[in-house]
Amino acid sequence: MSRAHSLEIGDPRTSGPSELQRNRGWLTLLATQVRVELRSTARSTQFVVGAVALPALLYAMFGLSNAAPSNVLPDGTHVGTMMMVSFCAYGVVSLAIFTFGESIAQERGRGWVRTMRATPLPTWSYLGAKMALAFVGGILIVASIAGLAVTAGNVRLDAGTWLALTATVLAGGLVFSTLGFAIAYATSPRAATAIANLIFLPLAFLSGFFVPLGELPSVLADIAVWLPTFHFGQLAWQHVAPAADAEVWTGVAPSGVTVHLAWVLGYAVVFAGIAALASRRSAITGRT
Amino acid sequence: MSVVELEQVGVRYREIIALGEVDTVVGQGEVVAVLGPNGAGKSTLFEVVVGLVRPTTGSARVLGSAPGGARHSVGAMLQHAGLPDQVSVEELVRLVGRSYPTALLPEAVLDRVGLTAKRDRTVGVLSGGERQRLLLAMAIIGEPSLLVLDEPTAAMDLEARASFWERARASVGDGATLLFATHDLAEADAVADRVLVLRGGRLIADAPPAVLKQQVPGVVVSLATDAPSEVVAAWDGIDRVEAMDDGPPEGGARGLRIWADVAENVVVPLVDAGYRMDRLSVSEADLEDALAQLAEPSVPPMTRPLGAVR
Repeated sequence: MSRAHSLEIGDPRTSGPSELQRNRGWLTLLATQVRVELRSTARSTQFVVGAVALPALLYAMFGLSNAAPSNVLPDGTHVGTMMMVSFCAYGVVSLAIFTFGESIAQERGRGWVRTMRATPLPTWSYLGAKMALAFVGGILIVASIAGLAVTAGNVRLDAGTWLALTATVLAGGLVFSTLGFAIAYATSPRAATAIANLIFLPLAFLSGFFVPLGELPSVLADIAVWLPTFHFGQLAWQHVAPAADAEVWTGVAPSGVTVHLAWVLGYAVVFAGIAALASRRSAITGRT
Repeated sequence: MSVVELEQVGVRYREIIALGEVDTVVGQGEVVAVLGPNGAGKSTLFEVVVGLVRPTTGSARVLGSAPGGARHSVGAMLQHAGLPDQVSVEELVRLVGRSYPTALLPEAVLDRVGLTAKRDRTVGVLSGGERQRLLLAMAIIGEPSLLVLDEPTAAMDLEARASFWERARASVGDGATLLFATHDLAEADAVADRVLVLRGGRLIADAPPAVLKQQVPGVVVSLATDAPSEVVAAWDGIDRVEAMDDGPPEGGARGLRIWADVAENVVVPLVDAGYRMDRLSVSEADLEDALAQLAEPSVPPMTRPLGAVR
């Protein structure tokens, strides 16, 4: 009989000690799931190009054309630096929404989430690995855009500002993961990509990630103040611009870190609630 | 000790009854086959047992817990189970193994299912049979007390099936319990200690294969003859006649399977009427005959009282 056809069932009596491993708790499991998530995602051209390279490409196309050192706002903030921050924010929110929304929805559609639920693999480990992916992807996005900004965009920031900006942007990515999670579970797997785009593109545009709101009709700024991504942008821009320049850039006077943080976290709680309810409904119906 | 206890378990999707008032108990070390046509409720039953679907009526317990609460002791291979395409075979098996308190090493389990050579392949490029074996590896890696296998041999050739079941029988000898679904009745007859038969979501039989077969009276006579089947069916003591699908008649003779009270009810009239007889064999009813009989509306269900575990 060929070896390939020799099928055997696991048996405690016949499994020698050398064939067995005793697992050492949740941290080992999480580490394994994160490693699997990162390695499998790295095999996806769609992820590398769509999620990581696209924001850098967009920054190269639209940000670098405004990179002249003389191109500054009234209080002296370099426009190219503001655009760098905008595209970093765009990139991590995009990653969070699509990594969670699209990829979990696709995995639901293929039945992998359901298959996992028939094993002892916990949901928190699965979502933890997705968040790790969002975090690592966020680092790659910020690094690639920052690399372009420093080498070709005349952006100069001190180490403390870089650190604070990066931390804010990455934290935003994790917070907006709740929106992706909500999309993944509250919509059908087939509709998730379209819905993620329908939600994300207006959010990004209305929050001034592509074009400064200060250059657009004021009605858009009136809408923007109700959006979580706008407040996330405010938290990021304040690292590189004084309040007066931020107001020129967005058309709205900044409200202070606490207010913007409250908006972002408040939305995150709502998104997480929707996601939890939808996930629970999905588990009860048990079909995906 | 009971491993699976289902009491009046029903699952309803709006107006559709996927499972209706199923009562059964599966004891430790039992090998139980779940049989029934497509749509009978086999997969829904398994989904209840592994905790993927919550019963809309009744109660289910697995290894003393609510279904889903004992996942560390259950290995499941579900029909149409989805897998992530970009993950390699070894990564997936290792990940699932990590979720059990104790697990076989990935190398060992891949060797057992014959996937060692494919360990670095991503799931998306596996053939149907290879995916089936990967799902099996994921089900057995945690050395579970209860194995739930939904049509495990569907993508295997005959040789692989024989090897699979030989090993499965040996494995459950020490206390593991095996619940499996199959459309191959000969397989169920050869492997299972007990058979659960579902039809339209209802449990219509719960008995050892031998007991089920005893419910079919008489014998089955197989032969090639030039006697028309409608003529044979009209004789006394003949329950049913089926033409065997074994090609065009040879010299006017066609293969027939005849269910009769005794063989004489077939042979004597054939001889008396001067019909040809060739390749004659007489056997007892098989599981397929028993299931066909159970499908008759006049036949009462053959289910055991709840708690009747051997």
